[in-house]
Amino acid sequence: MQFQPIYYDGELFLPKIELNMSCNQSIGIITDLKRKQLLMNQLLDRSQYHIFRAGQNEYMHLTVEELITFLINVTERNERAALLLDYFALKEERKVKIKNLSPSKRMYVTLLRVYFAHQPTLVLEEPYFYLEEQDRRQFKRILDDLSKEKQFLILTSNLEDAIISCDAIYRLNKLGFHQLDIRDSEEDKQEVQEQDRANITLQKIYTKRNDKVILFDPPEVDYIESIDGSILVHVGGENYVCALTLTELEQRLLNFGFFRCHRSYIVNLQKVREIITWTKNSYSLRLNTGKDAVVPLSRSKLHELKALLNI
Amino acid sequence: MSISLKRAGAIFVKDYKEFSRNYALSIMLIFPIILALLLRAAGAGSSLPGSFATVLNLSFVLLTCFAQACLIAEEKERNTLRSLMMTPATTMDVLIGKSTLVFVMSAVVLAIATYLFGYEPASIWAFVAAIIFSIILYTAVGTICGLFSKTLLDASLSIIPVTIVFSGAPWGAFLVDDYPIFKVLDYVPSSQLVHLLGISHTGFTTGDLLKPLLITLVWTVVLTIVSVVLYQRRLKDE
Repeated sequence: MQFQPIYYDGELFLPKIELNMSCNQSIGIITDLKRKQLLMNQLLDRSQYHIFRAGQNEYMHLTVEELITFLINVTERNERAALLLDYFALKEERKVKIKNLSPSKRMYVTLLRVYFAHQPTLVLEEPYFYLEEQDRRQFKRILDDLSKEKQFLILTSNLEDAIISCDAIYRLNKLGFHQLDIRDSEEDKQEVQEQDRANITLQKIYTKRNDKVILFDPPEVDYIESIDGSILVHVGGENYVCALTLTELEQRLLNFGFFRCHRSYIVNLQKVREIITWTKNSYSLRLNTGKDAVVPLSRSKLHELKALLNI
Repeated sequence: MSISLKRAGAIFVKDYKEFSRNYALSIMLIFPIILALLLRAAGAGSSLPGSFATVLNLSFVLLTCFAQACLIAEEKERNTLRSLMMTPATTMDVLIGKSTLVFVMSAVVLAIATYLFGYEPASIWAFVAAIIFSIILYTAVGTICGLFSKTLLDASLSIIPVTIVFSGAPWGAFLVDDYPIFKVLDYVPSSQLVHLLGISHTGFTTGDLLKPLLITLVWTVVLTIVSVVLYQRRLKDE
């Protein structure tokens, strides 16, 4: 998949992007509205890409069952509506008209159009935005099943949405196009155990912002993330660059109740409010800071975390 | 371009359900019947053969043209047309599915209206042919209206000029004496329908019947081609 560069007023607005998508891979791009539009406008080939735009609406006067039957017929599939309704977990709503569904359910039903797509690549704009948690889980399950045969490109402005079902996540903004490091890795595990944990002499975290040096008390910090090799310390919704590596920070902060929840994240456990389970294999931590922050949690770290919290 | 009856059928069924359950639109189905009853009650039935042509001319615009324009505009408004374009369904499948529905609805309702009005045509075959040509013609006009409107509201407003030009044309005959330019209105299909229905039961020749039929047919063919070409072109960038 290739995107041509786009310039506005002589400035590079959209860099040239080349994505090598293999089958059953899903890629998330976190970007803004304008860039989402520009990306989608470059994917016009109807035999290659099925584009699901956020403004998609549905036939309001049909019932759910009639809509599914219509989609089966119009795409000439040999499936039975009753079985599909079971699979979509819409059995109870099958006689309800689309206009009488709750907004989240209506969006979920609308999103089912991607299930009927025959193109090899599905492009979804903000698929999870209007969905409640239960519908998100259902839709993620369907996407996971679909991804066995197809590849996905998810365009969103929300990191959390991208984490739900993407293997690789990129951020596209005025700084360019960069991959976020969210992969799960077991390699670091051994290293971690060998480190000694008694270094509490350092009380402050040393960060820089706009050439100013700012020192934080560890309890102030919400979480620390690593993006493209640079370390960002998040405090009260703002982020600050830190010169230390995640491993060094982890050692120093261990005794302040910090926890390495992911290869690229350290979280302040005092601020964790909720452990979100997306599926058996994907988790996130929601923090109780003023801004709604969500940090990914590796599967391998979940047991460690449970032991630490005695749950 | 492949045309699949199964896909067109699916669109037909879907549109039938959508249209019949949207009462703001489906109320238009009883309009020709009410109009037929009203004009019959007014006693115009026997004295003025042109009055039944008025019923038909108004019904073609307010039912056939309006329904087709709304069916297309509604899909555009909800972005479902764009989504349909990404399924194997082709633009022709969509158009055929919709037009068939509009055709069937118009034919049934106008048959009822004719029966209730008690109109007896001079030649039943010429009458049926004129009705069929007209329905296809006004469906094509409706398609064009639908393509140029973005929402249902646009579509309902866009049929106003159609009403003025097509339904109003027969009345243009009253202006011909003062302004000879209005003579062209005589060639509008609605005026031709007035002529055709006005032919008396006794003493007509085949030529009398053929002339209005041929003019209507030319309109039908031209407008159908224009609407299909426009439709394909405008949906390319949907």
